[in-house]
Amino acid sequence: MDFSSMSSAEQAHMTRVIERKQMQDFMRMYSSLVERCFNSCCNDFTSKALSSKEEQCVLNCTDKFLKHSERVGARFAEHNAEMMGASAQK
Amino acid sequence: MSFLGRGSAPAAGGINQERVDMATQELDMITDIFNRLVSSCHAKCISPRYAEGDLNKGESVCIDRCVAKFFEVNKKVGEKMQSVGAAAGGNPGGFSL
Repeated sequence: MDFSSMSSAEQAHMTRVIERKQMQDFMRMYSSLVERCFNSCCNDFTSKALSSKEEQCVLNCTDKFLKHSERVGARFAEHNAEMMGASAQK
Repeated sequence: MSFLGRGSAPAAGGINQERVDMATQELDMITDIFNRLVSSCHAKCISPRYAEGDLNKGESVCIDRCVAKFFEVNKKVGEKMQSVGAAAGGNPGGFSL
């Protein structure tokens, strides 16, 4: 997004808004990731400890989700840059 | 437009609430779309077996196509809704990204 048309006070305000939002997003992502990986990996409740298989599954699940979200972010940024370029040419 | 001191030219160091609200709303919308994109494409592309922690080739290609397709759908739906809005005589809503 382009905040260059804003005054410095407004830019500072937006920085605070963005920081708060990032924190919220991080917490939301954390809890959704716990839910997602728990549901995919834990289906056997004959023991209360995570089995080594489950633990490996959870580690892979987390790793994979972060890589997934990184890749989506990269494509998303490319798309946005393309749109910005297209609207700037008009 | 200047209204009760909320004009578009803020005094130095002042905050134009209207403009800040607009930017915040845009930010909210972009984050929302991004989060939807992440969960939709994760559901469609990532196998829930989790045999390894890396994205494999097929998953990577799937993600790229999924994102591109999502934006295409976003555009098509936007166009459709705009034409419906225009046909109904109302002002077309501002659906753009």
